[in-house]
Amino acid sequence: MRTSLSRRRLLGTTAAGLGLAAAGLPRLGRAAEQTVRIGFLAPMSGDYVDWGLPGLYGCEIWAENVNAQGGLKIGGDTYKIEFVGYDDEAETDKALQGAKKLVLEDEVKFILMLGGNYSGVQNFVNQEKMLVSTLLPSDMSPDTPYLIAPCETHPFYNVTGVEWLAKNRPELKTAAMVYPDDSLGLPSLATYRAAFEAEGIKIVTEKAYPDEASADFTALTTALLAAKPDILCLDTCGAGAVSQITEQAFLQGYKGQMISCTLDYYKQVTEKTSKEFMEGFIFQFPNFDDPMMQKDQINFPDPKGFYDAYVKKYPDAWSAVSWEYPAIMVTWADAAQKAGSVEPMKVLEAMKASGTSPHVFGKGEWWGTEVLGVDNALIADWPVVVMRDGMPTIAEFRSIPDWMSKHTDLLIKHMTDLKQMPDQRA
Amino acid sequence: MLELILQTCVNALVASSFTALVAVGLVLIFGVMGIVNFAHGELYMTGAFAVWYLTSALGWPFLLAVAAAILLVAAIGAVMERLLFRPMRGNPLGGLIMSVGTLFILQVLALELGGGTGRAKHVTPPWRGVIEVFGIEGVTVPVQRLAVIGISVALLGGLWLFLHRTRMGWALRACAQDPEAAALQGISIDRFSLLAMVLGAGLAGAAGAVMAPLLPVEPSMGHSVIVTAFIVIIVGGIGSVEGAVIAAILYTFFDTFVTTFLDGTIASILGLLIMMLVLVIRPTGIMGVREKV
Repeated sequence: MRTSLSRRRLLGTTAAGLGLAAAGLPRLGRAAEQTVRIGFLAPMSGDYVDWGLPGLYGCEIWAENVNAQGGLKIGGDTYKIEFVGYDDEAETDKALQGAKKLVLEDEVKFILMLGGNYSGVQNFVNQEKMLVSTLLPSDMSPDTPYLIAPCETHPFYNVTGVEWLAKNRPELKTAAMVYPDDSLGLPSLATYRAAFEAEGIKIVTEKAYPDEASADFTALTTALLAAKPDILCLDTCGAGAVSQITEQAFLQGYKGQMISCTLDYYKQVTEKTSKEFMEGFIFQFPNFDDPMMQKDQINFPDPKGFYDAYVKKYPDAWSAVSWEYPAIMVTWADAAQKAGSVEPMKVLEAMKASGTSPHVFGKGEWWGTEVLGVDNALIADWPVVVMRDGMPTIAEFRSIPDWMSKHTDLLIKHMTDLKQMPDQRA
Repeated sequence: MLELILQTCVNALVASSFTALVAVGLVLIFGVMGIVNFAHGELYMTGAFAVWYLTSALGWPFLLAVAAAILLVAAIGAVMERLLFRPMRGNPLGGLIMSVGTLFILQVLALELGGGTGRAKHVTPPWRGVIEVFGIEGVTVPVQRLAVIGISVALLGGLWLFLHRTRMGWALRACAQDPEAAALQGISIDRFSLLAMVLGAGLAGAAGAVMAPLLPVEPSMGHSVIVTAFIVIIVGGIGSVEGAVIAAILYTFFDTFVTTFLDGTIASILGLLIMMLVLVIRPTGIMGVREKV
């Protein structure tokens, strides 16, 4: 009996000791290795999943590459990158829950958001002085000093597609627009209105829909085509809406030009329509294996290697945002290295010190005071992507700053008409 | 203008056919079991997901996949009735909670089946091409949508014949009109509740299955359908199969015309307003019967 008890005690003590050792070893390991945590607060389910989750995949691939090379050298230290995700379902209350968890529990140093629901976290972010990025600068106002848009300046880059179209197909003079009646669709509508007006293209009809789930895209397409437009513009419709309207346009015999902010499911849409129908379709988001993406002006490490790794790991998941969040991380890493710190305010200061920063498509300049109330949007060249032989192809990079220097007044006029200026949104 | 009106009528006809399938299923379940099945939209979604999986992953022919999807969703309906709704009979709140729980379970299963990402799936339409209606060039209907009308009419016609020309159909209607009186006549409420659930779920599954090539297939696709179905059954008269069909036609024609000639946002607002007006002015709906006190 005594022997047995002793053995048990011995075994128990040994197990406890091993457990403690096992718990302690990783701690020692972690202490020797610096890790910076980055929050990923975006929709990973629901209507806007296509503009969240594929971006987290991209970030993880980017982090794997950085970590495999030993990490980021910042201020004499080397940091491994770790992303912490939180699904905000594109809702404001969930965004606030997520922001609190990421900042207070996970101690992240930077948060990547899709945007559109930034109002939910604005006060908390201001109080914590946390650096947050958005893909939607329409979230910005003078009250959002810590919100930056270092990559996608939605919807302002849409002007480049219209400008390219007007230059290459000057015979097209009328456009019909369909738009989601929400925080994504309305600023985009204002931007397209300004871009079409700048090129002398008349909008013959505009049709709104409340949300993708309840919209009747067959009826909407019939109404749009009844106006007999030269151009059918899909504004910033969600991925499902773009698919359905394009298919309907095909089925209802439309023969004109199509232009859209995104075309995420281009393979499936081409399958449901035809290569011939999709030929010339213009949108704004390239594949990273495009030859134009391998040029020197691109500030993204090995775009083709990144694209190949992405589609191998996540077949059919590539979307507009797959590269955007990692591209933001490239700009963040550059600023953190300049600042010699990962602390949010030091990174922000370094980022904006010279008025310019590396943007994925070239040298970017911080812009936005007139339109957004704060110059926290990084604008640069942006690609005009055209469907050619069933594949998205960059036709040309066009300059957003150049367009803004000529037509900002027009943009402000239409943003004001749709109550999208910062003081109106509040 | 005439072309536009005719094209809008054709569009509305397609929409009303699959809306009627979903709404009639919901009415059957409510009529016989007294349960508001909030998971009905997810049964529709399951039908669509089943077709996506069977055609894309297993390479089944479309019609075979549709038939299998209907059977699968009908079987899910049977399991729901037997395990979830029957123990809750006489407890509407309990039934409602069970249906909401089922809603989440089916969504999560679809999410996992679809790879866990929630990204939309696409089903390649088995029938391509477009047919001119009335020989007018500007008025067309895609063959795939024509198939939706055909399958919906066949299923609803079959259901009507079953309900009105067979003894089981009569018994089912008796259960819907007055379950206690039906039970006193020797009709098994258990058996006919199961039948109502199987038929109702099967119809929702059929709607999802036939619409799969026309919509992005995603776990949340049932939300909009259930809202429309509720509007339709309230306008048609809760518990009335004929009312649901008539209201489906009226509502979708109204919605499609407003969407075409005004826009989609206004159509959504007006649709809900109509439902509220009906509730105020005629709470029993078009074909509903006032309850005896």
